[in-house]
Formats: sequence, structure tokens, C-alpha cells
Amino acid sequence: MSLLTTPFFGICLSLLVYLCGQWLFKKSHGLFIFQPLFVAMVLGITLLVLLAKFFQQNVTQFYTQAYKPGGDLVFWFLNPATIAFAIPLYKRNDVIKKYWKEILAGLLVGTTLSLFAIVLISKLLGLSQTGIASMLPQAATTAIALPISSAIGGNSAITAMACILNAVIIYALGDWLVRFFHLNSDPIGTGLGLGTSGHTIGSAFALKLGSVQGSMAAIAVVVIGVVVDAVVPLVSRLLF
Amino acid sequence: MNKTHVEQKKGAAAAPLLVQMGIYTTILFVSNLISGLFPKSFPVPAPVIGMILLYVLLSAHLLKLEWVDSLGAFLISIIGFLFVPSGISLTASLDVMRTAGLQLILVIICSTIILLVVTAYTTRTFIWLRKAHLEKHKFVHQPLAIKHRIHVKGEE
Repeated sequence: MSLLTTPFFGICLSLLVYLCGQWLFKKSHGLFIFQPLFVAMVLGITLLVLLAKFFQQNVTQFYTQAYKPGGDLVFWFLNPATIAFAIPLYKRNDVIKKYWKEILAGLLVGTTLSLFAIVLISKLLGLSQTGIASMLPQAATTAIALPISSAIGGNSAITAMACILNAVIIYALGDWLVRFFHLNSDPIGTGLGLGTSGHTIGSAFALKLGSVQGSMAAIAVVVIGVVVDAVVPLVSRLLF
Repeated sequence: MNKTHVEQKKGAAAAPLLVQMGIYTTILFVSNLISGLFPKSFPVPAPVIGMILLYVLLSAHLLKLEWVDSLGAFLISIIGFLFVPSGISLTASLDVMRTAGLQLILVIICSTIILLVVTAYTTRTFIWLRKAHLEKHKFVHQPLAIKHRIHVKGEE
């Protein structure tokens, strides 16, 4: 057990399950269920649960002791990766200069409308008030969403789950969603939508679609953070 | 769309990797300091500030694109892997999922789709409004254009 508490275990596990996912994705000719990130997540969680059973430990405790030290090291690199989205943004300065009003309006109005739709869906599916409050801040990145969630009476663990699953869903189903909703005829809207729903990972996906989509997704990540900071507490005060 | 002037300037040699790392870590350090200035009720995380900072530095031509471009492209290309620990961190919330899992996951899937589609179509509407507005103005200033259009339509 003590062998597993060094960061090497977490780093190694992260990389191996992701490579497994990449291999499966290639072998299955890009079947969405074998999307590397999704495979890595499911495989990693399964392995940790099995190992915890093997060492007869509590799963959460085992995760914190064995995986987290290495996982945190890999996770840290999301910081410079997020900063790097300034580059696609800068490369498409022309689009931003031309459409900044529409971009801001689209993000502000779009998110506010989405919030009400999310509340409606949550109520239809019978979520508790805590559950609904946890769902509201999910458009922002985790660092913004978690404190807002606790401030409006949500459960920050559920919000974290929502933020993470958002990204995984967009990365795995993005292609299909963009085609199904006929989004790609308008690259600006598509990019903003992908950035809002999939955060940084959504931006990476948007960048694969094109430079305009990528830069718009990067803007969305920045602006949505501020919008969630400002709008979500207001909306929650209206509702609860 | 057309490639911009920025992308056409390729060919300049990329800065050494360590220099690029230095730039990224310096920006992160400074943005972390700035992030601490925001009140707890209005959190703005360091990476988001860093993105704005790097964008401003590039736009002001204080940083050259080739000083940050290749490392940034690399980091973005492996972002799926960098997100693996976040995905695996859900191990810690397996208990929450066990109690209300299916319901929550359904709501999260719906919310993701709502955020994507509503934002995309709202923006599309605003852009359409702008175009409609511009066209209208064009017609006021150029009445001949309308005549021409009607004429062409009539011929069909």
C-alpha cells in the first residue's frame, strides 16, 4: 500500500488509462463511447474501486491517499493550458473586433435563458432544492462554480461532478451534437456554445472545428465566468 | 473565413522551450496574485486572469506570438489527458451518485445540451439581427439595389 502513495502511481495510472482509451478509440474507428477521456475516466475509477477493495480500504480514502498526489500534478498543467487559449483568441482578433457586441449579448442572454431551462428540467426530474442550486453554476469553470454553489445553498461536490461531466459529454458527443442541432453553419455561435457548455475542454474541441470556433469558445470561458459570478446569485434569489 | 495577418507571419523561429515555460509560469504567478485581490463572493480564478493577461500582452505586442505559440499548441493538444484526473476525481463522489445518481446525471446531460444549443442559437439570432439591420440601412442609402433585386426576381 505504501508503494502506491507516491505521486508516481497517480501520474502513471492517468497516462496508462488515457493511452488505453486512445488505443480503443483508434481500433473502434472513433466510436464515441470509446472517446479517450471517457474511457480513461471509467477505467480509472473502476481500477481505483477494485484496488481499494483489494486493500480493504474506503474508496474515497484510497483515492485521496493513492491517486490524488499524482493526479494533482497532472491537473496542475490545466492552468498553463487554459492560459494558452489566449493564442487562438489573439489569432482571430478580427472576428472579436467585428462582433464583440453580439458575442457579449449572446453569452449574457444565452446563459440567463439556459439557467431558467435548467431549473425547469431539474424540477421536472424532481431534483431537491439543494440539487437545483448545485446545477445553476455549472456553466462556469470549477474554480468559479464551486464557491458560488456553496454560497447559494448547493452541494459543491455535485457541482464539481456537473462541471466535469459537462466537459466529458462535450468532448465525447460534441461531433454528434453539432451535427444533430445543425450548429456548424454559424461558427461564432457554435464556438460560444461549446465554450459555455464544455469549458476549457469544450474550447479544445471547438478549436478542432476551426479557428473561429476555438477563439469564440475561449472568449466564452472568460465571459461566462463573470456572468455566472454576477447572474447566478441573482437568479437563485429569485427562485428560492 | 480568410486567414488573418497573424497566421500568415509564419516562419519566425519559436523561442526555446524553457523561455516559453518561463513566460507561462510568470503569467500564472502574477495572475495568481491578482486572483487573490477579488472578494470571495466574486471569484475569478488565476487561469482565467492569465488568459486575459496573455491576450492583452499579445495584443499590445509586448509578447511575440512565436514566444508562446508552440508550447501553447502542445498544451492544448494534450488537454484531454490533462483532464483525466478531474474525471477520476469523481471517485470521491461515488456516494453522491449512488443516492441520486441517475437523476443527477440526466439533469447534467440535459443542462449541457441546453447550454450548448441555447447559447449557440441566441448568438445566431443576434448576428442575424445585426445583418438584417445592416441590410435595411443599405437599402435606404441605395434604392437602386432594391430595384435591381426586384427586377431579377421578376425575371425568374
